[in-house]
Amino acid sequence: MKMVRAFIRPEKEQEVVLALEGAGLPSVTKMPVFGRGKQKGLQVGPIHYDELPKTLLMIVVDDQDVNKVVSIIQQKARTGFIGDGKIFISPVEAAYTVRTGEEGL
Amino acid sequence: MKEIIAIIRRDKVSETKKALEEIGYPSMSIQSVEGRGRQKGNMCAEMDSEMPESFCAGVKLKPTPSTYAVEHTLPKVALYVPKKLLTIVVPDEAVQKIVKEIIRVNQTGRHGDGKIFVAPVEAAVRIRTSETNEEALS
Repeated sequence: MKMVRAFIRPEKEQEVVLALEGAGLPSVTKMPVFGRGKQKGLQVGPIHYDELPKTLLMIVVDDQDVNKVVSIIQQKARTGFIGDGKIFISPVEAAYTVRTGEEGL
Repeated sequence: MKEIIAIIRRDKVSETKKALEEIGYPSMSIQSVEGRGRQKGNMCAEMDSEMPESFCAGVKLKPTPSTYAVEHTLPKVALYVPKKLLTIVVPDEAVQKIVKEIIRVNQTGRHGDGKIFVAPVEAAVRIRTSETNEEALS
């Protein structure tokens, strides 16, 4: 299993999640975060924004679905401008469903 | 070391904290998150899977669609249920005990009880003393 963490524009979150649902992966956890990247925030005239709001999507999927998830997020969250976000993938060793106590997604 | 990420019901946090304290693992981070699972954020299914969706009209507790979806009138809205996310980093041998305890405390048998993920952690450092790895956890 892998955990996909995607930092995306808040306004793109619904599109991404609905596309993932269409691909048969409805489960996602989201949280609002603030962050900065290579551009060290954003300069608009005299005003400098050090940190910008983003939405963090956390999706745990089986290994074979990782590429599908990443390509869907790339397609739907892309605008071509600076600040589209990043996707990180990390390993997950086990998953449990609390309701049944069983192991597995 | 392993990281245990548990997504649980909001009203179970204090119970979970107390239970983990009793078995000797009091440290954790708690975050408020919104999530959806196989029921796609349908709260009625979460409370009682037998309940038909039409009954939900009168239910006060409703999932919140994002303002963006409402403003742009997307044909369909992705719904979320508020949850709490606990992050606990522990030594390898404690993982099974903690997972079992979290499941015992949080299990109600209805949809929406949550998920637990276990992921590897490579290093830990306590900032105050610069202790590393297992010493930093205790």
